Amino acid sequence: MPNQPHIEVENLEVFYGTVMAVRGVSFNVLPGEQLTLLGPSGCGKTTTLRAVAGLEQPAAGEIRIGGQLVFSSARNVNVPAEKRGLSMVFQSYAIWPHMTVFENVAYGLRVRRASASEIAEKVHRALDMVQMRDFADRRASQLSGGQQQRVALARAFVFQPSVLLFDEPLSNLDAKLRADMRIELRELQHRLGITSLYVTHDLEEALAMSDRIVVMRDGLVEQTGTPDEIYSLPRSAFVADFIGSANLIRGRARPDLAGGGLIALETADKQVIYGTAYGRPVGAELTFSVRTVHLQISLQRPAGEKNVWRMRVEKTVFQGDFSQVHLAWGNQRLVARCAAMEPIAPGREVFMTVEPQKVVLLGE
Amino acid sequence: MTAAAASSAGPVSAQKIAGYGIAAIAAVLVLYPVFYLFQAAFDTGDPQTRPPTAYGFDNFSNLFQYPQILLNTLTVSFAATAMALVIGFVMAWTLARTNVPGRRIFEQMMTVPYYLTPLLGALAWSMLGSPESGFINQVWRALGASGHIIDINTPYGIAWVMALFEGSVAFVMIAAVMKSMDPSLEEASQIMGASRLRTMLRITLPLVIPGVLGAAIFVFAEMLGSFAVALVLGTPNRYYVITTAIYQLIQQYPPRIQVSAAMGVSLFAVMFVMLFIYRRIVTGGSYATITGKAFRPRVADVKALRWVLFGICVLYLLVAVLLPVLTLMFASVQKIAVAFPAVDNFTLSNFRAAMSMNAARSALGNSLILGFATATIGIVLMGMLAWLIYRSRLPGAGWIEYIVMFPQAVPRLVFAFGMMWAWLVFPIPIYGTLWLLLIAYLTVFLPLGVRTIAGVMLQIDKSLEECAQMCGASWIFRTRTITVPLLMPGLIAAWLLLFIASVRELGASILLMGPHSKVITPSIVESWFGTASELTATLALIQTLVVAAAVIVMVLVTRRLAAEPLN
Repeated sequence: MPNQPHIEVENLEVFYGTVMAVRGVSFNVLPGEQLTLLGPSGCGKTTTLRAVAGLEQPAAGEIRIGGQLVFSSARNVNVPAEKRGLSMVFQSYAIWPHMTVFENVAYGLRVRRASASEIAEKVHRALDMVQMRDFADRRASQLSGGQQQRVALARAFVFQPSVLLFDEPLSNLDAKLRADMRIELRELQHRLGITSLYVTHDLEEALAMSDRIVVMRDGLVEQTGTPDEIYSLPRSAFVADFIGSANLIRGRARPDLAGGGLIALETADKQVIYGTAYGRPVGAELTFSVRTVHLQISLQRPAGEKNVWRMRVEKTVFQGDFSQVHLAWGNQRLVARCAAMEPIAPGREVFMTVEPQKVVLLGE
Repeated sequence: MTAAAASSAGPVSAQKIAGYGIAAIAAVLVLYPVFYLFQAAFDTGDPQTRPPTAYGFDNFSNLFQYPQILLNTLTVSFAATAMALVIGFVMAWTLARTNVPGRRIFEQMMTVPYYLTPLLGALAWSMLGSPESGFINQVWRALGASGHIIDINTPYGIAWVMALFEGSVAFVMIAAVMKSMDPSLEEASQIMGASRLRTMLRITLPLVIPGVLGAAIFVFAEMLGSFAVALVLGTPNRYYVITTAIYQLIQQYPPRIQVSAAMGVSLFAVMFVMLFIYRRIVTGGSYATITGKAFRPRVADVKALRWVLFGICVLYLLVAVLLPVLTLMFASVQKIAVAFPAVDNFTLSNFRAAMSMNAARSALGNSLILGFATATIGIVLMGMLAWLIYRSRLPGAGWIEYIVMFPQAVPRLVFAFGMMWAWLVFPIPIYGTLWLLLIAYLTVFLPLGVRTIAGVMLQIDKSLEECAQMCGASWIFRTRTITVPLLMPGLIAAWLLLFIASVRELGASILLMGPHSKVITPSIVESWFGTASELTATLALIQTLVVAAAVIVMVLVTRRLAAEPLN
């Protein structure tokens, strides 16, 4: 079965002491796919990853890797971590300080009783791939954070594991290095064609690196989808807000105004805004999500009739590449993110417009 | 998938079997003697028959026949605790918070009294301060005065010597509190306009008080259970505290096993409660000072007072370290120990006698063998226990911790008493052999070894072990290649501490050693009561040299390892 998922997680529950850290999580990772668990700290993403690794014992649920059951509470199966055929890159890198770079990378091969020539060949090839060949004889204490990261990576894939797990591997690097490593990691993952499960709280990282994303919150899955789906069509207010900043607009439905593929919502201030349902059920009370970058401000009335309003600017915050404009719309406050421009004086009236396709109905 | 499940059962249970096996050994070591201690304490039947024929509380009500012992114990313990706290607090404040000259060196020297042992201090101070022959009193009379200026064989003399040595423990505890206090708390007070004095009274003191209180309770519990000083300085005047009374009741003929057991259990109960309170204060305090995070404390410029404080530091080290050691050295090269040197009184025969005396030689040899054996077996046993308690996450690890830390609350003499009583009825005849002493040392030093190794273990990032697991290494393989090499500094430190503790052990050894299994520290005590004080001084010096050598190795090793930190 070529399309059988490589990793299957079903109704996973994990307790951390008396706290239920993971409260019934299910997802699949396809062969060769990079799936990211994304969420704020404490959402249970790392606990889920560690349960897949076998470092955490779940209370309930099933985990299969390559079709083989590695954990099942019902059938009392719990394959220990070292027998699951996985590998992992740790947040702290976990480079063993008492070994050289070469010995660190060779460890997994030594465990598998590879011959000396095979070890030398594979370790050097792995170090080449992460551009660390010249450092083979160094000790961990002589490496920078980025170099330790590369060694940890080489060590994780050198013995050709079936699955690579990543526990926030880039979070300890500085911003610039993190951006570089992101691209490098992604390329490496493609080259190796290895199934990866990745954990991060960094939105950009998740969007840039993943084939699919599982957004988690309070131990539950909030939404699963491709980066584009998650970004463009957030399912809930939480996802909309977490995945890039969004304005949430609540109100009651106006089915009488709907038509032409659009639906309409009337706010408490009797303002009407048109949006798109994207196949989600339309109830009586609606919530729209509009990304801050999709709100457009102009000083002259723009062409078009729908979704054009007059608003008062409360303040403008200069943030370098863009400016954040805070607007008052009746009792509602909106935030628009515009390309850097001349600051608009507070109190000034402007026109604000948004395409109805960018106004997304949340499926709550 | 069933195959995977079946194959998984193997290594997990190997780890579990090893874990629970080690835990069971520790539990037997600790609980087996405790059981017999309690059995003897509640045995109200015929003292000659075992197992007991009747149980009751009579032994405990009989304790009220000894009100003097209770009074003595409290007098000595309170006086010694008060003095130790004053020493500890003044030294801690001086060295942590003032610009006294030579702070660094003083701070390192402050651990020396701890390694010198109270026994050595008691022997030296007895030679210095006994009313007739004490060197200080000899000098006093030579100056034209009569009688004596100090008398060390009094409750306050005993307390003084105890305080000198426990003072360094109080210092370490109080200094740790002072160092863990965030200096910005005081700076905030001064920014708000409070004067230095007001800051000290309203901010600093309230913040350090829980720590000082904790130290007070801990030190008091230690004083209650201390044995050596009261034995050397009190017994000649028939002045008994509870530990020496227990020893006396066991040693006399006929022995009064049941009453001494009841005394031991009572002492244990009091110490247990005190250490429980201590733990609550240390761990449960809502005071932000006790976070375990170390700050760089603010150092106050005390101007001219720094030289007064400097004098106090020198004085303390003089009376606690230099004077005792010099006294023993001086006495060891004299034919008859007197205060004033004379050429015809000089001799090296004491060293010759100590080295040629069979008893002393075999005792020293036995102690070294036991030290090596205890330390070597100890780090394996205690290393596995530390791993089991703090890393394995096996169910029941919390209980194992309680059992392992249990000997901390029991004076070694009382523990040894339970052990003597327990192993007397043990089917394999190990009573009176070195084996029993080995078992005793491994038991009473469980808290010391486990805590030392755990201290290093907790600093090692857990992911270093987990990563080996993810690389496919079995438990045994990753223990050998990752855990043990990373733990090496802790294991070496623990080995040396166990060796040192074994070589100077008194409380347990004095009850458990047999005529053919003598060890050095009780032999020193025997020599003190039985032969000349000059020879005793020589024996004590030799023991100190062995311990000093081990300490120096330890300092060198830990310093070298600190120079190249493990990430």
